[in-house]
Amino acid sequence: MIRWWSTASIRVRLTAWYTAVLALMLVVYAAVTFLAVRHEFHEQLEEETHTEPDHVVAASPEERVEQQLGEILVVLALGLPVIVVLAGVGGYILARRALAPIDHLAAESRRITADRLHERLSVPNAHDEIGRLAGVINDTFARLESSFGQLRRFTADASHELRTPLAVIRGIGELGLRETRTPAEYKESMGSMLEEVDRLTRLVDTLLQLSRGDAGTIRLTRDVVDLGDLARDVVSSLGLLAEERRQRLDVAATANVRVIADRLVLRDAVTNLVDNAIKYGPEGSTIRINVAGGREQATLTVADEGAGIAPAHRDRIFDRFYRIDEGRAREMGGTGLGLAIAKWAVEANGGQIALDSAGTGSVFRISLPRLGTS
Amino acid sequence: MLIVEDERKLAQVLSSALQAEHYDVVVAASGEDGFYRANAELFDLVVLDLMLPGRSGLEILQTLRQRHVETPVLILTARDGVEDRVLGLDRGADDYLVKPFALPELLARIRALLRRGRSSDILRLKLANLEMDLVARRVVRGDRAIDLTGREFELLEYLLRHQGHLVSREMLARDVWKEPHRATPLDNVIDVQMARLRRKVDLDGTARLIHTVRGVGFVVREGEP
Repeated sequence: MIRWWSTASIRVRLTAWYTAVLALMLVVYAAVTFLAVRHEFHEQLEEETHTEPDHVVAASPEERVEQQLGEILVVLALGLPVIVVLAGVGGYILARRALAPIDHLAAESRRITADRLHERLSVPNAHDEIGRLAGVINDTFARLESSFGQLRRFTADASHELRTPLAVIRGIGELGLRETRTPAEYKESMGSMLEEVDRLTRLVDTLLQLSRGDAGTIRLTRDVVDLGDLARDVVSSLGLLAEERRQRLDVAATANVRVIADRLVLRDAVTNLVDNAIKYGPEGSTIRINVAGGREQATLTVADEGAGIAPAHRDRIFDRFYRIDEGRAREMGGTGLGLAIAKWAVEANGGQIALDSAGTGSVFRISLPRLGTS
Repeated sequence: MLIVEDERKLAQVLSSALQAEHYDVVVAASGEDGFYRANAELFDLVVLDLMLPGRSGLEILQTLRQRHVETPVLILTARDGVEDRVLGLDRGADDYLVKPFALPELLARIRALLRRGRSSDILRLKLANLEMDLVARRVVRGDRAIDLTGREFELLEYLLRHQGHLVSREMLARDVWKEPHRATPLDNVIDVQMARLRRKVDLDGTARLIHTVRGVGFVVREGEP
């Protein structure tokens, strides 16, 4: 019985409940009415016998009353089940009509699978309950579609990135085997292959790090990090690169701007930003790293004097494998994941990363919740 | 020494590389074989892959340590999760390397493991006419004194300690720069630093000592790399 109940459709359960409640109420109503009527009859009878004691009638009044009451009882006993059954049938039809859109919704949703995520449920009336439900489901589909799209693009991009070094390795290998060469030439070929292997390894490592970040399996430490110290640390480790390009690295830091973050992860993010600034800033320019703290926010900005980033690219600059200038970035040995890693690193530490670019130079801004100054 | 590695090609590469360094090498191609050999014979060092058919590397390691065999064990693993490393080191491994690793790095670690326990208090390093006084922090090539920055000094010291052997950027990043992991910006820093060191050390261009081996790293030695 219980099993049947839990497997029956809502339509059936609704009707059963409705019928049961209705039947109960009708029975109570009928019983009360019947008792009230009987009470009334008996009172009348008493009055009659009281006022006209000598009056003679064919049948005794008690018998007449009992007979009338019996008829009423019969009508009630026969009519009640009929009404209940009729109401039950009506209720069933009503429930089916009310619930039909849900069945329809389910059927439509089932049709929309991973391959047809661009389709949406039809919403006849957006304001009723079903319409709101359909709206919610449609929103979910939209989010699913966008993340599936991202995943597809990412997989395609990743395979492309992995393929390039593979093609180079293969090419060098095949070329090397075609004719006999001097040992020096062989060494050169093998070295060149190893360089590509290195690139592949690094790419795989970075992808692994990002996928762990997505899965949330990287456990971050929570250190107190002074952003000024961090900036100076990064500058001292990359200073040599700027020196080579005759650039100046300027750090302007307010003292005591501290945040809670995983120091190494945050340092990677800042390193990537400063490294980019060195790469894309012109020779002899100045790169300004500024650390400031508001009441609740701590910010670190890295500003270069390069060409800036065109508005068309700004939205996608943090996307994985997104490059503004394919050839140039590859030349410089980048994986196309530097900013994606930086974004992940900052967000994993509860902050935000943004780009302000005003034509002359780019300004990358990292903001994190500031740790109290006390 | 014993290499337990089921990947045939990798085992072959390892054994050739080690033989070229004049080590005696035995290869076990399965967990069972490795388990048997490690327990039957005595080796100076065991290179152990963690993921093996038959018996896992960890099992072999554990049995060895339970029997109080103190042979140094270097584990190889494709997983670089912290837990895996900790697990390996906890079970008694002496060092680990994550695949894909660079051969120079493996060789350097093997040398370090074999050297362990012996004193390494060297006060002077020497190669050809290049001399390094670690106490006075002075470097002389022939009769020309070389003025090095702190980092350049550490770099040259590391190269000379590994003289004749290849040193990868990975090793430099970890041991000289003390960075926990290698990243592209750091590689560029290493290259720039190396170029500057070379300008100072191999100034006259008569006999170059610091050589770049393309795709692998650097080596200091007399003559050709």
